[in-house]
Amino acid sequence: MSDMLLELAQNQAARKLIQRVGLPIPMPATLTRQRGPAVERPLMDRAVLFGGQGELTAVLARTLVLAGASPWLADAALEGAFKDVGEAYGRSPELAPTDLEAPQPGKQPRYGGMVFDATGIDSPAALDQLYLFFHPQLARLAPGSRIVVLGRTPEHVKSAGAAAAQSALSGFTRSLAKEFGKRGANANLIYVEPGAEDRVAGPLRFLLSPASTFITAQPLYVSAKARWDGELSWVRPLAGKVALVTGAARGIGAATASILAAEGATVVCLDRLEDDGPASQVARQVGGSVLLADVASPEAPSSIARQLEERHGGVDIVIHNAGVTRDKTLARMKQAHWDQAIDINLRAVHDITRELLGGTLRDNGRVVNLSSIAGIAGNVGQTNYAASKSGVVGLTQHLAEEVAGRGITVNAIAPGFIETRLTAAIPVMIREAGRRMSALGQGGLPEDVGQAIHFLCTPAAAGVTGNILRVCGGALIGA
Amino acid sequence: MASKRRSTSSSPAAARRAVVVGGLRTPFVKAFTQFTQLDTIALGVAATGGLLKRLELAASELDGIVWGGVILPPTAPNIAREIALDLRLPPRVEGMTVTRACASGLQAITLAAAAIERGEADVLIAGGSDSTSNAPITLPPKVTHSLAPLALGKPTPGDYLAALSQLTPISEVLPRQPKIAERTTGEVMGESAERMAKRNGITREAQDAFAAQSHHRAAAAIASGRFAEEVAAVETKRGWVHTDGLVRADTSAEKLSKLRPVFAKGGTVTAGNASPLTDGAAAVVLMSEERAKSLGYQPLAAVKSWAYVGVDPADQLLMGPALAMPKALERAGLTLKDVGLVDMHEAFAAQVLSVLKMLGSAAFAREFLGRDQAVGELAPEDINLFGGSLAIGHPFGATGARMVTTISRELAQGDRELALLGICAAGGLGAAAVLERVA
Repeated sequence: MSDMLLELAQNQAARKLIQRVGLPIPMPATLTRQRGPAVERPLMDRAVLFGGQGELTAVLARTLVLAGASPWLADAALEGAFKDVGEAYGRSPELAPTDLEAPQPGKQPRYGGMVFDATGIDSPAALDQLYLFFHPQLARLAPGSRIVVLGRTPEHVKSAGAAAAQSALSGFTRSLAKEFGKRGANANLIYVEPGAEDRVAGPLRFLLSPASTFITAQPLYVSAKARWDGELSWVRPLAGKVALVTGAARGIGAATASILAAEGATVVCLDRLEDDGPASQVARQVGGSVLLADVASPEAPSSIARQLEERHGGVDIVIHNAGVTRDKTLARMKQAHWDQAIDINLRAVHDITRELLGGTLRDNGRVVNLSSIAGIAGNVGQTNYAASKSGVVGLTQHLAEEVAGRGITVNAIAPGFIETRLTAAIPVMIREAGRRMSALGQGGLPEDVGQAIHFLCTPAAAGVTGNILRVCGGALIGA
Repeated sequence: MASKRRSTSSSPAAARRAVVVGGLRTPFVKAFTQFTQLDTIALGVAATGGLLKRLELAASELDGIVWGGVILPPTAPNIAREIALDLRLPPRVEGMTVTRACASGLQAITLAAAAIERGEADVLIAGGSDSTSNAPITLPPKVTHSLAPLALGKPTPGDYLAALSQLTPISEVLPRQPKIAERTTGEVMGESAERMAKRNGITREAQDAFAAQSHHRAAAAIASGRFAEEVAAVETKRGWVHTDGLVRADTSAEKLSKLRPVFAKGGTVTAGNASPLTDGAAAVVLMSEERAKSLGYQPLAAVKSWAYVGVDPADQLLMGPALAMPKALERAGLTLKDVGLVDMHEAFAAQVLSVLKMLGSAAFAREFLGRDQAVGELAPEDINLFGGSLAIGHPFGATGARMVTTISRELAQGDRELALLGICAAGGLGAAAVLERVA
């Protein structure tokens, strides 16, 4: 489980020595993580640089100020959007210094975040705005900071030139993520569909906050697909909600159960009968209940639905986390192993969701399915597993369309290398490669995935549906 | 002070109204100076006893005492009752003590007003006191936990050794310097003021100018004899104390500008533009309007409305009055324009000026009050005509009654009909009240 390089890098003396001697050893940064439950102002007094003449200026200004950020503007023309909200909340913006040669004394912000509104870039030539915004400021980026670029989905813009420019944002942010990963900084892209402008606050706050630790080099698509009554609550966002977490006994499931419970949800911890002990322990810790079931059994869907109805009158959040690997090359794989992987990882997810959608899952509900980077990318010996995990992608996207009218969102999370019991069992050389082959140069923790799942479950994520969100530290593999 | 004349006409039957009949306070002096030997109860006795004497109000008329305090004596936290007993008031004169940080004094007054409006009482004393000089020095929890079994149980010699062995390292068991810090955020109040100054763009110059104004106006109120009518001399072992000890007539913005910032490097909050730790007490007598008239008192003012609010202490700790003042006005069916007199507790110049900025901002009104228009423009010189806590001092529990006394007396002069009071308090609390002249 322990990552020796990360421990070494945390030792100041060792870190200095290795860097001075010039040893070719990667020094992963110590990542900043969210401590405790969600807060009203996750960016409290953090300097955030804002730029870009786009269509989102007003909503971004408001989001930053209400999240507690101290806004710095790359362009005086943006001041108007911050005037009222800045005055009301005592967070009037300051003009960012750009002169690197002779910086003004006392005006040396270290940016904890950079936000660029690229929705106004409508031609390849106009892409120089990216260069002009970031290039002079990157030296002021604090370790562990967050970069977010906002664009328009290329298929929704009017001209080929605009589509090219908006598509360019993707490669740009991915590369930026890789350049700053070793400093523990993240860079992500939010594509905002026309009409979904008012739903951008939640995703932006999340990607700028410490809760998004292991998400980098990713696009997030914000749409107005799912019905939304405008509900937003930043503190205890899941109060009064009932959440079902499958595979809750350990790893990502246990971490997710604990985060959802801390945000106010009543968590039903589902796991196999054999895992009664650890599942009960998790349930006790989070003040929830246990539901023992084999998700792949034919009676599981109706039995789970019945128990949720009886105990809680329904369910608001469903996390399909239970999963297995049965690795063998296809030529040598027994059919039982094929069947088990498909049944548990995909068929059960489909069948249970189908059943719950028949009235048990309440309106404005949330479904999060666990996919996998390895599944998406394909892997030797994992034909069954990869089939099931890429199947989850299609299932997610289809269901998202189907239930949008009820305000229900359906998303998938694709974890990369996460430090769990599963990855601890991988042979050391392969494990080492898995850890380092990413922008952040280290494995994530189960809680990092839990935080991403939690975000997708909040009312503020109403604009996020049908997304496949990778929590992978910017892994080099996978599309 | 109200003149005493017997009224023969009976007032018309209407909703009961609570009126301020008179008020009095001790001089306010810097902590650890003349009043060090007087605890908060003794200070309360001085103010209350003096007030009864000035008003020539018979103790037999009193129904009770409502008192506010922040640093409560651990062995006798119900200061109100102790004051009544020390003054040898009739045993039936009951007493309660409330705490709402710096708004404790105003809280005591509005509680008394509410009781009178409800018909629970006709004559009440309300006020507050604090003696920072007598703040108990508390032991760290570690010491309490290791010594409590010895003090409260039946210890064996072994228990003593065990307790002693827990008292290391020495740095963890020494009594700590008390500071005015938020329990949840750990932030010292001066740091909160410093952050508010920065966020609301309040300059050092503006703060110092406001502090100088506070001193000059308080000094004028002393010189004119205005405060002499509101202050009772207090006898200490080293002689009588007649006047406030903190007001400096000779200060100026220029002199104040030389002081060093206390709470942040390159900051703006200094000892000169922050309210000092103070010892003192203040009290008012509240009556139902009918009883006041039947006892022959001309009321100074009536308590028209009040409001208390809470804000997130982690954000702008001392902005409470910017919400409480419009709320109190709204409850009275008034706007800021209707009010001729505005008096705010001055915890820090930066805090008062920040609140004024919020009141004058339409954007603030839209976000926090759901209104299109700003509450109203107030220049720093429009408020606190007789100085405030920066100059006079701030014995936490006493400030509310000091303000109500001064402002009620000013209303009774007859030039203005209405007054608005605002107080900020620790924990992100805000308080406000509207007083009106009694014709």
